[in-house]
Amino acid sequence: MLKIAIVGCGKIADAHVLQIQRIAGCQVVGVCDREELMARQLQERFGIPRSFSDLTALLRESRPDVIHVTTPPQSHYEIARQCLEAGCHVYVEKPFTLFATEAEELVALANEKGLRLTAGHDEQFSPAMQRMRQLVKSGYLGGTPVHMESTWCYELGEGAYANALLGDKNHWVRKLPGRLLHNVLSHGIAKIAEYLAGEQPEVRVVGFPSQFLTQRGEKELLDEIRVIITDQNHTTAYFTFSTQMRPGLHQFRIFSTKNGLFLDEEQQTVLQLRGNRYKSFAEKFVPHLTLAGQHVRNLLRNGRLFLANDFHMDAGKKHLIEALYRSIIDDAPVPIPYREILLTARIMDAIFQQLDSGSPPVTTPANSPVAATRI
Amino acid sequence: MEGASTMNIEPELRLAGPEDPILVTGAAGFIGQRVVANLLTRGFRTVRCLARRPGTRLTFVNESNPGSPAVEMIYGNLLSKEDCQRAVRQVKVIYHLAAGSGEKSFADAYLNSVVTTRNLVVACQAERCLRRFVNVSSFAVYSNRNKPAGRVLDESCPIKERPERLGDAYAYAKIKQDELVMEYSQKHGLPYVLLRPGAVYGPGKRAITGRVGIDTFGIYLHLGGFNRIPFSYVDNCADAIVLAGLKPGIEGRVFNVVDDDLPRSFEFLRMFKKKAKPFRSIYVPHFASYLLCYLWEKYADFSHGQLPPVFNRGRWHAEWKGSDYSNRKLKDELGWSQKVSTHEGMKLYLADCRLEGIHA
Repeated sequence: MLKIAIVGCGKIADAHVLQIQRIAGCQVVGVCDREELMARQLQERFGIPRSFSDLTALLRESRPDVIHVTTPPQSHYEIARQCLEAGCHVYVEKPFTLFATEAEELVALANEKGLRLTAGHDEQFSPAMQRMRQLVKSGYLGGTPVHMESTWCYELGEGAYANALLGDKNHWVRKLPGRLLHNVLSHGIAKIAEYLAGEQPEVRVVGFPSQFLTQRGEKELLDEIRVIITDQNHTTAYFTFSTQMRPGLHQFRIFSTKNGLFLDEEQQTVLQLRGNRYKSFAEKFVPHLTLAGQHVRNLLRNGRLFLANDFHMDAGKKHLIEALYRSIIDDAPVPIPYREILLTARIMDAIFQQLDSGSPPVTTPANSPVAATRI
Repeated sequence: MEGASTMNIEPELRLAGPEDPILVTGAAGFIGQRVVANLLTRGFRTVRCLARRPGTRLTFVNESNPGSPAVEMIYGNLLSKEDCQRAVRQVKVIYHLAAGSGEKSFADAYLNSVVTTRNLVVACQAERCLRRFVNVSSFAVYSNRNKPAGRVLDESCPIKERPERLGDAYAYAKIKQDELVMEYSQKHGLPYVLLRPGAVYGPGKRAITGRVGIDTFGIYLHLGGFNRIPFSYVDNCADAIVLAGLKPGIEGRVFNVVDDDLPRSFEFLRMFKKKAKPFRSIYVPHFASYLLCYLWEKYADFSHGQLPPVFNRGRWHAEWKGSDYSNRKLKDELGWSQKVSTHEGMKLYLADCRLEGIHA
């Protein structure tokens, strides 16, 4: 029985406990939060044996095998380091760390101690993403990627989160190097990182605040960015992050020399994009039918998963956690290769550095800072 | 201000005098602004208003009391102990309305209702001059599960058990907030009064209470049927809240806040469609809504939360089974009387909703 502990008892901790409780062979033995009341509410709601307000006490008394770090990102590095030093395997919520250098140190420490470490890039393990990965592995693309497009939206409206963030100049999100962007980019970047070659892609960024933010007198935050990434093989990727475009997409496209693939995380849809055209007028009619067939198959697949009770909103989180625990028990490779975690962190570093080094944010893309960084 | 309050309590019998500082948390909110306006009407000259977002303006207060020097705006977050200390400095009465309303996450609702309240009451302890802490709770905390339909839901009704299993983060946080206030009263002598308003309505809050129906599935399902809806017009509610902070000798008491002449759900819906905004709705009889809640709850359990338990029997009992409501205790012990009639309140509310329809 793997003993699990949660450090950080905010909103995301609920999702972790719910998914862990669906996995056989493990038990949450303790929760910890600097705010005692928060630790107690999580303990009480999920019937967890112990709650702590001190990490050292949790490590000493509950002796967990695995720790999930679900605190605000500013503390990820220090807590993960302390847990690794104590001999625990660690799952760190996204964003993994504030800087790529911290990520590198954690990976080195995990390797040195023979422990497993993963980042909360759980959408890499959604049912649709796993299906896409299988298709890529099966050779459907027909070669290395030529181009990718990752569109990641975060609907910043009049909700509680926006009110809390915009209303509080000391909100922890504002203190991240990438501010709002830091907390929401990693899922979309991780999808690109998986298929990039080399360690030093070139990154070019355009960033600006949306009208939504400027109308509210916001001077600090940027919430619209467009990024071009190029790797050593000249595989390119566009990354779009927007809080205002509708529909708010979570999509990924990958194209190679033969075929392409399309993924929609919201709808849990994967479409195979055929590289060859049909002859003459057939191209005007046949693709619609084949795409309709693919949509029906996606619908049936989602329906099957739902009926099997394996289509939770956080299905990816469960699959990632399960894969991490399996890697610990079976001494198998980590679910997300460290190279991908580090590459994601480096690309994010490059984005934030460029946005910071540019002239002050302007309201139109035409005048916005554009720069390129080789990381 | 509609139905401006008169002095319900003789000044010499009030807990606080006109010069005593009063704190209103959540002052920029729907009810908070009416509470501030009510206090100004009663002649209080130092009403400290805590709002989270810097630069927040109390539009309604400014309209009803333009340029009042009695309003002292302070900006801060109740999650900050320093901000709490700043807010409670020398205050005699606290009206605590700030809460994590609208939160779907249990942790966020708890953080913004319970942790904030703890910070506030701890700051009060250090200040040592507080005479009354008015904790604004909610009808959402009550359970009428073991009562037959149509029976009176009053202050003697039990509180929901295991609210965390009912998928209602707001009710969970409010129950825990009330418990925390009572615990601080027992351990540290916090002089509190609990107020539990029903469905507060009025100009500025246009959403229809879920007790009438829901539009979750794309079409409006009318679930209330012949049930009475525990409405409280916002000015009447604010009046009760203000009184609870001023009347001596009621420490530790709980008051439900509802108006007289409560309309039935179908009457309200008919009025709304006729006078505010026409829309299509489907009536769902009680047995069908119960069945939906029962099946949803069972499936949520069976599937380990693949569908969250947002519909469940606990919610059906609380919101759609139907109860009667009483404001007898509010009148007898607090001396509250309804200033804005339900007829007048509905008229003002529906006119405001119609305006939204025109601008939409």
